[in-house]
Amino acid sequence: MDLGSLVSGTINDTVRVSLPLFRVELVIAVSVVLVLLARMLPVLRWLDSGLVALGGACFATWYGWADLQTVQQTVPQAGGFREELFGGLLVFDSLTATIRLLLAAFLALYIVFTKVSGIPDREDGADFYVLVLGATLGMCLMASANHLLMVFMAVEMASVPSYALAGFLKGRKAASEAALKYAVYGAGAAGIMLYGISLLAGVLGTCHLPSMAAEMGRIVGEGKASGEIMVLSLGGLMLAVGLAFKLSAVPFHFWCPDVFEGAAAEIGAFLSVASKAAAVALAVRLVFGLGTVADGAAAGAVAAGLADVRHFMVYVVGLMAVATCTLGNLAAYGQTNMKRLLAYSTVAHAGYLMMGVAAAGALAGVDAAGAQRAVAALAFYLGTYLFMNLAAFAIVAVLRNRLRSEEIASYAGLVRTNPGIVVATTVVLVSLIGLPPLAGFVAKFLIFSSLVKAIASTAESPLMLVILIVGGINTVISLFYYLRVLKVMTFDSLPEDRVAEPAGAFSLAGGLVAALAVPVVLFGILWSGLYGFAQLAGSFAS
Amino acid sequence: MDPAAQLPLLLGLAWLTPLASFVAILFFGPRMGSHGRNAAWVATAAIVTSLVLSLTAFVVWLGAHPVTAPAHGHGDSHGEAHAADHAAAAADGEHAAFRQVALRAGDAAALPGADGHGDSDHNAEAHGEPHLPAAYAGDWYTLYEGGRLKLSIGWYIDALTVLMFVVVTFIATCIHVYASGYMHDELHDVTDHEVTLADGHHLHRPGRFPRFFQALSLFCFSMLGIVIAGNLAMVFIFWELVGICSWFLIGFYYERKSASTAANKAFIVNRVGDFGMLIGLMALWGALGTLSFADSTAVGPDGHETVTPGLFSLFRPAETGHALQVPDGMVTAAAASEVATIAADHAATPADSASEIAARVPGWREAGLGRWLLVIAGLGIFCGCVGKSAQFPLFVWLPDAMEGPTPVSALVHSATMVAAGVYLVGRFFPVLSPDVLLVIAYAGAITLFIAATIALVANDIKRVLAYSTVSQLGYMMLALGVGGWVAGLFHLVTHAFFKSLLFLCSGSVIHACHTNDMRKMGGLIKVMPWTGYTMLVGCLAIIGAGIPFVIGFSGYYSKDSILAQALSFSQANPSHTILYWAVAGGAFITAFYMFRLWFMTFMGTPRDHHVAEHAHESPNVMVTPLVVLAVLAVAAGWALPGGLGVANLLEQARPAGTAEGMTGGFAFGQRLVFPAEHESHVGAVHVTATTTAFATALAGVVLAAAMYLWRLISPAGVATVFRPVYAFLAGRWYFDELYDVLFVKPTLGIARLASGIDRGLIDKLIDGLAWTARRLAGLDAWIDKTVVDGLVNATANATWNAGLKMRAVQTGRLRQYVMFIVVGTVALFVLASLAFRSSVAG
Repeated sequence: MDLGSLVSGTINDTVRVSLPLFRVELVIAVSVVLVLLARMLPVLRWLDSGLVALGGACFATWYGWADLQTVQQTVPQAGGFREELFGGLLVFDSLTATIRLLLAAFLALYIVFTKVSGIPDREDGADFYVLVLGATLGMCLMASANHLLMVFMAVEMASVPSYALAGFLKGRKAASEAALKYAVYGAGAAGIMLYGISLLAGVLGTCHLPSMAAEMGRIVGEGKASGEIMVLSLGGLMLAVGLAFKLSAVPFHFWCPDVFEGAAAEIGAFLSVASKAAAVALAVRLVFGLGTVADGAAAGAVAAGLADVRHFMVYVVGLMAVATCTLGNLAAYGQTNMKRLLAYSTVAHAGYLMMGVAAAGALAGVDAAGAQRAVAALAFYLGTYLFMNLAAFAIVAVLRNRLRSEEIASYAGLVRTNPGIVVATTVVLVSLIGLPPLAGFVAKFLIFSSLVKAIASTAESPLMLVILIVGGINTVISLFYYLRVLKVMTFDSLPEDRVAEPAGAFSLAGGLVAALAVPVVLFGILWSGLYGFAQLAGSFAS
Repeated sequence: MDPAAQLPLLLGLAWLTPLASFVAILFFGPRMGSHGRNAAWVATAAIVTSLVLSLTAFVVWLGAHPVTAPAHGHGDSHGEAHAADHAAAAADGEHAAFRQVALRAGDAAALPGADGHGDSDHNAEAHGEPHLPAAYAGDWYTLYEGGRLKLSIGWYIDALTVLMFVVVTFIATCIHVYASGYMHDELHDVTDHEVTLADGHHLHRPGRFPRFFQALSLFCFSMLGIVIAGNLAMVFIFWELVGICSWFLIGFYYERKSASTAANKAFIVNRVGDFGMLIGLMALWGALGTLSFADSTAVGPDGHETVTPGLFSLFRPAETGHALQVPDGMVTAAAASEVATIAADHAATPADSASEIAARVPGWREAGLGRWLLVIAGLGIFCGCVGKSAQFPLFVWLPDAMEGPTPVSALVHSATMVAAGVYLVGRFFPVLSPDVLLVIAYAGAITLFIAATIALVANDIKRVLAYSTVSQLGYMMLALGVGGWVAGLFHLVTHAFFKSLLFLCSGSVIHACHTNDMRKMGGLIKVMPWTGYTMLVGCLAIIGAGIPFVIGFSGYYSKDSILAQALSFSQANPSHTILYWAVAGGAFITAFYMFRLWFMTFMGTPRDHHVAEHAHESPNVMVTPLVVLAVLAVAAGWALPGGLGVANLLEQARPAGTAEGMTGGFAFGQRLVFPAEHESHVGAVHVTATTTAFATALAGVVLAAAMYLWRLISPAGVATVFRPVYAFLAGRWYFDELYDVLFVKPTLGIARLASGIDRGLIDKLIDGLAWTARRLAGLDAWIDKTVVDGLVNATANATWNAGLKMRAVQTGRLRQYVMFIVVGTVALFVLASLAFRSSVAG
């Protein structure tokens, strides 16, 4: 094979295979350029950067939708639709397509939300949207990474703009502090992650996930080189640290409350939804990428080795999930600031999601259908979580604009002045608790049912049982602090010095909140449609 | 121009327009002008539209079916022949069918003998084609169809339907116009002086102008629904709808206890009648499987037409020359055990059993099987009519119903709804057996007599009219009961005009005097001449005034024909002569109390100056309907040259087979002869009847004038002389008291007993259980508070403290955070290597 054919082969592969399946990311990248151009060129000054970004997001959503259709049509084939892009750096499959669509759709909704809530203002809009678009691009890559180098790059690509976003409220001490904490913490986590990657690469001689899995299965399966296994597990743990940082999993969650409280509610919405979705997708990607190999190639010792690898990962993820969920819910108890409360709520929900990841990992390689359902549950959870949390932060933003405060105490007696918002808050918070008939219940139910499935049919059943019990107890615990907010809103008397202007019958902000809250109810009752897409996401796990 | 297509369309629209008005006022009533002023316009516009459509339908009908004067081809000579007819009919013996009385003397020989065939031949030979009423029937919408049950919204349109539409919409129009003036008090806040609240003040409430017209529109829709209905199920639906409208309207001033009681009384008493009606409906449907009046033709998928016979042709099939017979369905239902035996014998071949049953049916019918079902069906339907048309013994609700606003009394409780019972008996007439007809006749006679006597002594102007209504409804029932189909329905139409006129006049008087008590009136003719003279017209019409054999008010014609038919019936059945005397006596009493009313109200000198000073003529919007109705009260009985008149129009709708008389009957153990109606037009009968009517009416008027105008006889003196009778009548025959003792008290007693058992026994038991439960709950609460809550609180405290401790870790110091990364990683590693030494690292 000479250089020429290699180059032409690469070009051919890039142009014919990779780029068409990469168009969502391309559209986002082009939007970034457009927004920047519009800011720089005086001719395009009149263009509202938010609208440009929204256009890009809509295009990306459209392409994401079209890609999902492609996947949907080919799913019945064995193994689903799987295409490695750019020489194996990325992978395009049903999970990529679904998460990308989710991210793109979220982006569009999110831009609308920021336009309504008024942060950023027009002057800062271009910077803001460039950062948001850039971070989303990174998140898309997280969802499709197939190579540890890409994993690292994608995580950094998603994180670095987030650091800047956290400090976006210039001149606010809390915001600057939050940004600094986030950046330093992120740098630390990234360093450890990179160290872990280098350890893994050093032992296995590759960063391509499927190749790593095969090699790891071989090494562990033979079980002779205990030193290598030690290094491998250390490297894996360090990789997990980077991921846990993105997921804000305990004990790497410290940044989360400070950043959420310091940054604007809009930033919180972005971090808690998009970042979480991408991180969960990446976690699934890594668990399946490192824990399984493509159809049936694994046999004998390799398979046994892979089972051990999975066992290790499931335990790490599962124990972290238990800790994350419990700590998140407990720490939310005494919070007085709504954003900080939501930050802990985000931590807790990361815990629930990681329970699902653990269940999926436990079922992988044992019960393909069960693993698919577990991933589907995760995707469904992310889909509903998008609306729940976006709505929650939108409510915080709307109330901030109205009350000039984000303290829970300032919401006292809100039901008498803004009953509509209180109803929406009730819907959203009750859904976050996970009570029927709202979307959060269905999502949690699906996660727990995959745990039950894992209890029944996997070697990790004791752990799964613990997780299930902890998850159930946590749901009960979480009732308290969510309902406390509602109690303040409804039962407490209106403060004398309330500056609230009476809300009109219909406002743009109210409409937005309603538009976000309605799906929460809808998906709680008519959830089969969304679940259809979620099942599609799960179908990659063969 | 196909009337079969046009008539349902026109009348259907006329029927639905008031519904549209009802819906519009229901939803937008209060927003129609200030206090819903324009609701009157909406309702009136709707009913005027209905009137125009009905009139158009009337014209279409006349175009398709020209009305001609009946050809009295039989001449007077044939009167004598009847004896022979009746004799021959009676000689038939206990026959299967109710024999028709032959028309001509010569036909008597051709009457079917005991062999029981040849009926249809006989009819065809004697009269050419047998008389069939022109009618259109069909379904708009099928509510439900399954098995034998078919419930549909359909139409049955004949001359009677068209006539009733015109009458109802016309009177309703007049009353809508009148009411828009009469109800103007409701346009602003009302202080009801008849309702005293607990604090001693009178009730003050907002006006309910739109609500009145809303109910009125709904009533018109329901009433027209009864008239157009194509089957008994639909009749029943709208029957109940008019009932509920009546309840709304009687209870319009529901804050008055009397009004709400009267509304409930009307509704409950009607339920009693409707219970009987339901039994009748069940008997019909259970035995025959259809409630539709007319035959219906269904075109099957193969283009083959199947005719499903309706009630009329089941009871009076063409094969028997439309003579009433017990339908096959009722015969087989009564012979259920034999049918079961036959079916068991031919279990293998169902077709054989069907044919054998068909062959045995005539025999069973000869044996009288199924007759009871026929009687039950007829009496059941009549029961409903007794309730709705306020016949004895259920007439007690109607006088109380006068608590409603006067326009309601005029429309609902005199002209239309209460006439619905008479209408239904008329519509159902072909199905009624001689026994049932006799019951109807006697019920009508008793009603007319009782009500008339009570009216003699009543002092409330509206109550006099109410009892007069009951009495006149009795007339109609009696007329139908003695076979006078046209006479009864003719009186229904004329009565609708003059009674609504009378009520509107009384309303005008009440409006002016603010009292119902005639003893406080007097001399009003001077201040309200329009009302006075139009009311005089109404009085003359109701007593049937006229120049004998020349011309008269509308009541003259209809009452004469009732009298004539009653006379004709009592001549044929000497044992029932009392029916004739009831009619004649009733005519006398009617004349007396109507003129007593008129004299007391309008003549003489004012008896209460307070009332007289405030009296004034009513506004034009109220007087105009009076004049219009007065014109019709005079002219409704006339026939135009060429024969166009109510009676001849009704003749077109005469049910098949009823033009001839009927004989039969078994329940009373004797033969009854129902003479054909045209026989009452025969000279001897007619003259006697007319003379009697004139004489009795004149006598009544003269007596009334002697007592109340010329004051030759003192009413008080008469009352003293006949004290017991007077008290009995003034007490309204003590029917209310009787029912109170017989039904209301026992019911309340049972209710009290039940409530006593409930309170004394069941409640005590439940209280005891509750007490036990409370004790147990107290114990439980104690355990809960000390043990469970203690645990829970301890857990909660622990959780809360844990939460606070978690917060404590969150110091906010960046250096510590970064430290935690390292610590966390190491901790994770240590944990992992400890936990998995065996499995992975080992």
